Amino acid sequence: MALADFFISLLTFVTIYSLFGLGLNVKFGFTGLIDFGHVAYFMIGAYVTVFVAMPAGLSETYEGLTGLGLATAFAGVPGGDLLGWLVALVIGMAAAALVSVLVGIPTIRLREDYLAITALGIATILNAIFHNERWLFNGAFGIREVHEPLSGAFPIGTGSFQLNLLLFGLPSVAILGYAAYRTAKVVRPLSVRPALLGTGATLALAGSVVFVITTMTGLVVDLGVFVLNVDNTIAFVLLVGSVVAGRAALTETDHIGALLALASALLFTLWYLGQPLVAFVTEGETADLLLNLFWLYDATAGSAGGLDYDRFFFLFTLAFLVGAYLWVERTVNSPYGRVLRAVREDESVPEALGKPTFRYKIQSLMFGSALAGAAGGLWAANIGFIDPTQFASTVTFFAYTAVIIGGTANNRGVILGTAVFWVINSGTRFLDDFFPSEYAQQLAALRLILIGALLIVILYYRPEGMLGEQDYDIDLGRGGVSDD
Amino acid sequence: MTEIQNPILDVQGLEKHFGGITAIGGLDMRVGEGITGLIGPNGAGKTTFFNCVTGALTPDAGRVAFADGDITGKRPSAVAQEGLVRTFQIPRELPEMTVRENLQLAPRGQSGERLAQAWLRGDEFADDERRVREKAAEMAEFLEIDHVLDAKAGTLSGGQRKLLELARVLLTEPDMILLDEPLAGVNPTLEQKILDRIHDLESQGYSFLFIEHDIDVIMETCERVVVMHQGQVLTSGEPADVKSDDRVIEAYLGEEV
Repeated sequence: MALADFFISLLTFVTIYSLFGLGLNVKFGFTGLIDFGHVAYFMIGAYVTVFVAMPAGLSETYEGLTGLGLATAFAGVPGGDLLGWLVALVIGMAAAALVSVLVGIPTIRLREDYLAITALGIATILNAIFHNERWLFNGAFGIREVHEPLSGAFPIGTGSFQLNLLLFGLPSVAILGYAAYRTAKVVRPLSVRPALLGTGATLALAGSVVFVITTMTGLVVDLGVFVLNVDNTIAFVLLVGSVVAGRAALTETDHIGALLALASALLFTLWYLGQPLVAFVTEGETADLLLNLFWLYDATAGSAGGLDYDRFFFLFTLAFLVGAYLWVERTVNSPYGRVLRAVREDESVPEALGKPTFRYKIQSLMFGSALAGAAGGLWAANIGFIDPTQFASTVTFFAYTAVIIGGTANNRGVILGTAVFWVINSGTRFLDDFFPSEYAQQLAALRLILIGALLIVILYYRPEGMLGEQDYDIDLGRGGVSDD
Repeated sequence: MTEIQNPILDVQGLEKHFGGITAIGGLDMRVGEGITGLIGPNGAGKTTFFNCVTGALTPDAGRVAFADGDITGKRPSAVAQEGLVRTFQIPRELPEMTVRENLQLAPRGQSGERLAQAWLRGDEFADDERRVREKAAEMAEFLEIDHVLDAKAGTLSGGQRKLLELARVLLTEPDMILLDEPLAGVNPTLEQKILDRIHDLESQGYSFLFIEHDIDVIMETCERVVVMHQGQVLTSGEPADVKSDDRVIEAYLGEEV
């Protein structure tokens, strides 16, 4: 599998979890509601969307409630299955919002820590019900009959290979170029010396990782001792070098963010384009290089290549994320959002000023839960199979971690934090190939330890998160007086 | 004891108990227009009285009427919507929001505070927000905190917090304001500024009920004084009469005044 395919699936995950995180940010970041049961609305959104779209009698192993079959209800209309699925998604969102009201009315008057614990309890109970009641949604056996909207139409493309390459390849390169341009803009405040030191540190770090991996994949690992040999000596020297260069770079600049951006951009480029480039130069291997460069274009899809369903679905989820982002931004950049933040800061103040805070908290809970429900519907369509184990409480805490890392009460921060979280958690999964398979569990644990360490560092040095709370500006349209 | 003919705030038989402790026991109080002082020793139940009247606490018995409407047991937001607002004894600024946002929060009836309006944004949305911005800026100027408008409220000094607290309740354009020790911990210059502002506002038609421990301030500022002691009204009347009342001297003022 080329890296591009891996990235498409990773980005789809990041997009769906960002949508989930935006919902959490509405509740936690902007309103101060600590809802430890956020995953329950993700689960309800997923199950209800699937249930409403699912045609009856598809499978003999499914013993739950008969689906409503909305996916086939509009069969006569072009794109009818998408329309049916969208209606199902809206119903899934509404169901999530409705359940959140039922949970919220008795609990939301509680003090915030009690609310957190009660919500966690309710989410656990709901998960247990979905897990054990087979008549409902097939219990622990899950649902395999997940409707994937428009999946029949793909891959799409023209009949001509060259035209397809032009159509999908050009935007791919353009987007990569734009990403490089944005990174360059971020990196620009760095002067030459820290930039060089940062580059050196990054390359040394990458080198040491390569050497450690090549050593560990040898027999040395099985002995359980770290024997001195050429490889790990070089690795050690490079590691020390990267630490020294990194420290020197850090002491010479105030722009730690720019330095981090430079380092990650370099590592990414090395990994994503450097590696296939080496394969191309040394072995004349072009497939990976082309696939990575023209990442939207899949040459293996159909007779002349084209846009496959995975790539389409990523763009599809991205459209939802952009829509949700703008929706949440509009909500918080308004007098309504001002009241929400006042509730977060000290609920008694807006209440004493005549704002019915109970109503605001319930609405915030509903809105956040509906977004989680939308994420759930997309999740189900992406995976193609749902069962209750996918909706464990850890999903909520992963989202909290992502929000806190990126920046609480910052919608861009949520997306950034989610990306950082899942790149560490899943993006490093390719490293597993280099290690003997019996270490898979330890490596999975190591990833969580790494995220935990990052969380501690963030909470200690930058409790407001990587980006901190966002700025607010209520747009008054034309003729609006500037607020400054 | 002079009787108030047309009370704005009319409290009858108010009771509040915390477990076995009676904080307020059958209190009757009528408050009219102008500035009324509320004094009494620590623990007399003054703040509990404020909390019961404004809905932060639900009274165990009694009736609270404000501007001829019954507000007994209503939520604080509903009481504030009726035009009765209060300040807090310890100022409650919203620390992570700017002073400007703290002020803009306050005005009542902003259409953009409704979720549907925040999403759809009809014509009144922008008009309302412009009005709110102007009023907030004017109020900041009036209370002389306009130089810190863009600072986070959490960075303000103690005195500025007192002013912000006052500015916020004024922006709700209430009929009556309950002030819970607005001068506590305030330096003499600022104290005079706050008192001047209260007098300005009184002449504009606002009414105040004013908890204060400095009897000289009460004498100068208030047209009427109510004295509370052990959850009851001990007496009320003209400041001069109250000051010379033997029971008040014994319970609160002490011999030396």
